[in-house]
Amino acid sequence: MSDGGTTMVSLTVDGVSVTVPAGTPVIQAAERAGIVVPHYCYHPGIPSRPAQCRMCLVAIEGQPKLQPSCVMVVQDDMVVHTQMESEEVRDAQQAVIEFLLLNHPLDCPICDAAGQCMLQDYAYETGQLESRLVDPKLVMGRDRIADDILYFADRCIICTRCVRFMDDIAGENSLIVAQRGHKAYIDTFPGKDLDHPFRGNIVDVCPVGALVHEDFVFKARAWDFDTSPGVCGGCSQGCNIDVNVKENQVVRVKPRYNPDVNGYWMCDEGRRHLVMANRGLRADVPLIRRNGALEPVTWAEALEWVAERLPAGRGGVARVTASESNETLHALRGLLAHLGIDGGTFAVRRGETAGLPGFPQLELRAERAPNGAGARLLGYTERGELPEASGRTLVVLGDRLADADPSFGADAAFFLYLGSHLSAAARNATAVLPIAGAGEAEGTFVNVDGRVQRFHQAMQPQGVARPGWMVVARLLREVDGERAAVRDVRSAFAALADAVPEFSGLSWQGLGLKGARLPAMSPAGSGAR
Amino acid sequence: MGFPHSHDLEAGTILSRHFGDASARRLEPWTGMGGYDGLKKAVGMEPPEITAVVKDSGLRGRGGAGFPTGLKWSFMPQEPTGPHYLCCNADESEPGAFKDREVLRWVPHLLIEGCLIAARAIRAQHVYIYVRGEYFPYTKILNDAVVEAYEAELIGKDILGSGWDCDLTVHIGAGAYIAGEETGLMSSLVGGRAEPRVKPPFPAQSGVFGRPTTVNNVETLAAVPMILTGGAEWYRQWGTEKSPGTKLWCCSGHLERPGTYELPLGVPLKDIIYDVCGGIRGGRKLKAVIPGGSSTALLTPDELDCPSTYEGLQEAGSSLGTASPIVMDENTNLVAVIRRTAEFYAHESCGQCVQCREGTAWVAKILHRIETGGGRLKDIDTLYDLCEQLTGRTICVLADSVVFPLRSSLDKFRADYEALIGGGAR
Amino acid sequence: MSDRKNEGIHPAVVSAQPFQLASRRPVDRLFGDGEGCDRLEKAISRYPEKKAALLPMLAYAQERNGWISPDAMEEIAGALELTPAYVRSVATFYTMYNKHPTGRNIIQVCTCTACHLCGADDVFEAFLAATGTRPGEMSEDERFMVMEAECLGACGFATAVQVNDRYFENVTPESVADVLAALEVEEEA
Repeated sequence: MSDGGTTMVSLTVDGVSVTVPAGTPVIQAAERAGIVVPHYCYHPGIPSRPAQCRMCLVAIEGQPKLQPSCVMVVQDDMVVHTQMESEEVRDAQQAVIEFLLLNHPLDCPICDAAGQCMLQDYAYETGQLESRLVDPKLVMGRDRIADDILYFADRCIICTRCVRFMDDIAGENSLIVAQRGHKAYIDTFPGKDLDHPFRGNIVDVCPVGALVHEDFVFKARAWDFDTSPGVCGGCSQGCNIDVNVKENQVVRVKPRYNPDVNGYWMCDEGRRHLVMANRGLRADVPLIRRNGALEPVTWAEALEWVAERLPAGRGGVARVTASESNETLHALRGLLAHLGIDGGTFAVRRGETAGLPGFPQLELRAERAPNGAGARLLGYTERGELPEASGRTLVVLGDRLADADPSFGADAAFFLYLGSHLSAAARNATAVLPIAGAGEAEGTFVNVDGRVQRFHQAMQPQGVARPGWMVVARLLREVDGERAAVRDVRSAFAALADAVPEFSGLSWQGLGLKGARLPAMSPAGSGAR
Repeated sequence: MGFPHSHDLEAGTILSRHFGDASARRLEPWTGMGGYDGLKKAVGMEPPEITAVVKDSGLRGRGGAGFPTGLKWSFMPQEPTGPHYLCCNADESEPGAFKDREVLRWVPHLLIEGCLIAARAIRAQHVYIYVRGEYFPYTKILNDAVVEAYEAELIGKDILGSGWDCDLTVHIGAGAYIAGEETGLMSSLVGGRAEPRVKPPFPAQSGVFGRPTTVNNVETLAAVPMILTGGAEWYRQWGTEKSPGTKLWCCSGHLERPGTYELPLGVPLKDIIYDVCGGIRGGRKLKAVIPGGSSTALLTPDELDCPSTYEGLQEAGSSLGTASPIVMDENTNLVAVIRRTAEFYAHESCGQCVQCREGTAWVAKILHRIETGGGRLKDIDTLYDLCEQLTGRTICVLADSVVFPLRSSLDKFRADYEALIGGGAR
Repeated sequence: MSDRKNEGIHPAVVSAQPFQLASRRPVDRLFGDGEGCDRLEKAISRYPEKKAALLPMLAYAQERNGWISPDAMEEIAGALELTPAYVRSVATFYTMYNKHPTGRNIIQVCTCTACHLCGADDVFEAFLAATGTRPGEMSEDERFMVMEAECLGACGFATAVQVNDRYFENVTPESVADVLAALEVEEEA
């Protein structure tokens, strides 16, 4: 049977009929049928399939032995029975769990994988409660396999996902299995720890707690943190991420699957980005300059005070950032228009690129900011130097002015600072309106391939800071009560889509969690920006 | 040191005719003994013709699996789209087996000839003889023979003027039983860990270097030259319909005359032990035999009337394997023997499959504990359960292999285990 | 066994040279001189992929130095376009590749099934006593190391003992002294 050129195959899995392309492994056909076959060494994003964990065995009518479903390819009229229907399969799975637990240390109470561990999960499901081992367990110990990754050999189930991630995806044969049999363990060459820019992914693919990030160890239990879908702010690749937050602090960032952007992966710099992104002295309350000094005031007072004093129509200069959302950058255009300021500039840090031979569309991009593309589309220009603000109106949004001369803006005629952090230069402002920092608001970024992607709030902003687009919209309504209210990110995005032709036809809801490509933009070449 | 003579010189000495004659190692005398006559015939035959003769002879793989050799050769592509390879499995590491070494050290040219004929049949241009690393003394003899054959242009370009080129390389391992598994051998040969691979793809589709490959045992290939010169019917004069030909029996343990004997298949197993090998040394009584190398089920004295054929041993509840009986007398501490055997498998497991990696070591630990007095009755139940879990679940059959001696010893000698457990109080 | 001469090793058997020898010809760089390079080239020429020359080169490193050091692994990796980690992975899989320096005479006593039946454990103990070593440990004068081995393929002639590239068969506790004496003779030769 064919379907537009691809040969299709029909089979049943536990009585459910499915039709899949020829060449599909049974485990994926089962997934289509809504059945999860337990597995370890199989990983959908890693092409090599050694079929060695023996957990995904299924019964296939006509075959005398159970078959590993990760490598068994579908055939027409195949009748498959998984653990849902077959006693033999359940028995085999239970045996695999028992064998894996044999020398496995009882580390759950101190192991970071607890609550997110495939060994725990399947052990619980297959229901074997007691160990039959009365002999001493083999003890192997712990090793530092990279600067920031620890390997607990006793917990390792030798699924070799980590080895094969490095081989197949990272293209670097630097992680290996040493020794053989029950003495086998994962290792590098002595003296050559892993230092690949994408090595953190080996921790993600590890089904158990054998590989652990050093900066996550003992930090939080899997059931103790909240998870928000986000987009990494480290570079213009726009990897989709999951942000784990406990007590309003980022405890971990993991890649979120998006086949069109980053697959199952992200780089190590990106993993660290969000934790570092909000370091420094925060702007957490509105400040206005009275009697020569900045005074904290309420939002109501600040907005009224600023609105009264905005030098409308008198022109000036603006400075923004490529790390702010499209919604905020677009809202600012309304304010700039009111002030008679024509456009603004932003700086972007650049760094070394790094690729993944096994997943070429993902790269750590030279441009180390998430929304350079968005900023450019919205009419802002990239320029390293700060604008000349002497005697003029200066509006700064998002640029923390961290490296600016401490006197920058001190001689501006009117300096409005909308930002998340208070550097020395920021404290020259006439008024400071605190906005949310990285991960503290929702919005969209446009990545290097012209893809608009939503990110969500992972943490509460500091103090009474609010999302940038909300502050700007509120300020503009203070100026002109007739303006439409923009109360949520949906309407902020709608306003943007209405005003900017490249975004037309898109909606916040429509973007979903995988984003959408801007029709007019063509994909960047690798490392082009 | 070596190989005591064939039981009956007339009864069929194909492989062992020149065992003990050092001159058979050298090309000059060897060709005078009929050496390379098979190859001369083969170069005048088309590959399918050669395969047909071997198929008709009923020759079965002598490395333990007993798969019909001609049939295996016929799996290779008939129209090559690139190189084909023949691998000769000389990794002989099965406990009890020491027959291939006799071929290597007495009649290396016979092996070389068999390899070349097989290579022609499967349209290969390169033969790799993978010899276990430990066999240094025999490898040296084989090496000298290979060099002689190259110098005589029996290997290399335009062999015997046929227009057919074929090279041969001797390649030694470094201590891994699992490199004797067909796909483990291939994984090792190409420069890797000797880790067996999932099938499909089968070697005849994709083997070494991604190319169609056939792997054959030394003894299998050594039989080919004379099958070609004598013909399929000639080979079938010995043995049975399903198990034709002769076999090298390597007998060890508590025997009066252990050693390697070539016998027609079908001789009753009992006769091999009592007549050929002279029975149990010291006049003691037989307790048990593991008939086909350690990966076969053990048999008790009253189970030895079976004919020594593939089908005969199977009916008796065991298997012919490598035809390597390990014989144990009445004073044997059977649990210790099974323990040591389990330790062998645990040490040799490649470690890919969970059941084998953990299970073989666990079996060894339990047996060790029983042997040293720490056993409990439920350990026997656990061992039986492990036998189930180690069967049919793994990439290769190393796990299945420990089950044969283990389960048969539990079935037939449970009392030995219980005696060490002290009456079952716990 | 005779002296190794590299010129004249036929390429067909270059991957089958003994690598457990009493006498060593230590070298810092394996492929620094003609012999090593010749060995490497010949080995590579036998296979369509360079990687297949790995086991022969690991064997060569051990043939020269008695063991395979991390430096040797790195050098082999470079010569075959592999990573050192990969070379290590392969080297540690196989029992016969020594990852540490060993005694000049590696005495491997088979204690597997058939030899076990014929008193191999006693032979093993006898070797330990006669050399004054513990299992797997080098003697002080670095002459000996005694280890258990898995089946050596000489089951009918138990107990089988391999010392470097030689086999001794039908060894009993009583004949251990003769084996050691034979090794001494060889060393002096």
